[in-house]
Amino acid sequence: MYSSLVRIQNTFGFFTTVAFVIAALIAASDFITPRAPSVGMLKTTNLQVVRGRPHYYSSKKEEYAIIKFSLDADLSSLFTWNTKQVFVYVTAEWPSTSTTGVTIASNATANQAVIWDAIITSPSADHLSNLGPAALKKLRKSAAGKAIDPSRGKLSLKNQRPKYQITHPSGKIAEMADVTLRLHYNVQPWVGVLTWNQGVDYGLWKQLSGGLSRKFTLPGLKKKEEAKKTS
Amino acid sequence: MLSSLQNPRQAAAQLMNFGLILSTAFMMWKGLSVITDSPSPIVVVLSGSMEPAFQRGDLLLLWNRNILSETSVGEIVVYNIKDKDIPIVHRVVRKFGTGPSAKLLTKGDNNLSDDTELYARGQDYLVRKDIIGSVVGFLPFVGYVTIMLSEHPWLKTVMLGIMGLVVVLQRE
Repeated sequence: MYSSLVRIQNTFGFFTTVAFVIAALIAASDFITPRAPSVGMLKTTNLQVVRGRPHYYSSKKEEYAIIKFSLDADLSSLFTWNTKQVFVYVTAEWPSTSTTGVTIASNATANQAVIWDAIITSPSADHLSNLGPAALKKLRKSAAGKAIDPSRGKLSLKNQRPKYQITHPSGKIAEMADVTLRLHYNVQPWVGVLTWNQGVDYGLWKQLSGGLSRKFTLPGLKKKEEAKKTS
Repeated sequence: MLSSLQNPRQAAAQLMNFGLILSTAFMMWKGLSVITDSPSPIVVVLSGSMEPAFQRGDLLLLWNRNILSETSVGEIVVYNIKDKDIPIVHRVVRKFGTGPSAKLLTKGDNNLSDDTELYARGQDYLVRKDIIGSVVGFLPFVGYVTIMLSEHPWLKTVMLGIMGLVVVLQRE
């Protein structure tokens, strides 16, 4: 009955039970931490549509939209002791146009493409981020001695270049109307449930206020001479 | 052990006990599969392409039902590619169209370029049925055991042996 095998089994069983209970408590603590993310400003600053190829060996020509934007956001309430990283991303959304040119309301966001994203790590996860040694040192120094650094959630971008130039499977995107930019976030916990920005309040988690730009229309294709100059 | 061999009734009971443990585990796995509508509701992260969010060995809980909304941009999905049997965990970064034929493009947070290169020849986008679930829950490191087991196959034999011995040697 009290062989060493049974004792090892009991110890291991107790260890896993305790570990899982603690993990569950930490995960549950997310739900009693208030969140009130807000976006002060999200607007486009420069719009451009150019022709290009999807990759070097392709002969297909597609239109690419380059959307520069400015952003002011306060996501600091998303940073808690269980936050590993916050993934922030800006999408461009536009409706699908039917052959008659009339857009259907339910399809207002039929097309969605990420134009910019950023990984904001919690100081506790800095060592995991994929950065060069100098950048990593700077990042760690910025939050020296702090386990949680909500100030990292304050974003202020001015005339930011997009990380991704977007197109449509049809290859046509010039003069596209009713395009909007929208800011999203995804909170990655150390343990527990992954959460995204929500459109309604859930208990202590307030919905993301703001975060949608005004509707805009993409410009026509840039003339060839102009495109050459910029490239 | 010898005593249990001499007593066939006890040996049979122990065999039944072992079978019960195995079938309970199998039923829980399949039950979870039915609830989440995913052929593989729990997956282990095998690569670092989603770092720093997911490391190798982290356990992900999947959900494959679209009750409130469609699978959309920003979700982290697990998908299978034809003729490749390794599921990939990446984030949806583009979506064109709606419904089951919507074109989805994925990218790993830690990768520089999107997944077009990973897809099958001639495949530019995923569709909803390629996806076996969206990540909803996260448990760090627990799945590392399975990586150890697949990288060092002899561990499997050792573990099975130990489990068998424990069950046989146990006396109620």
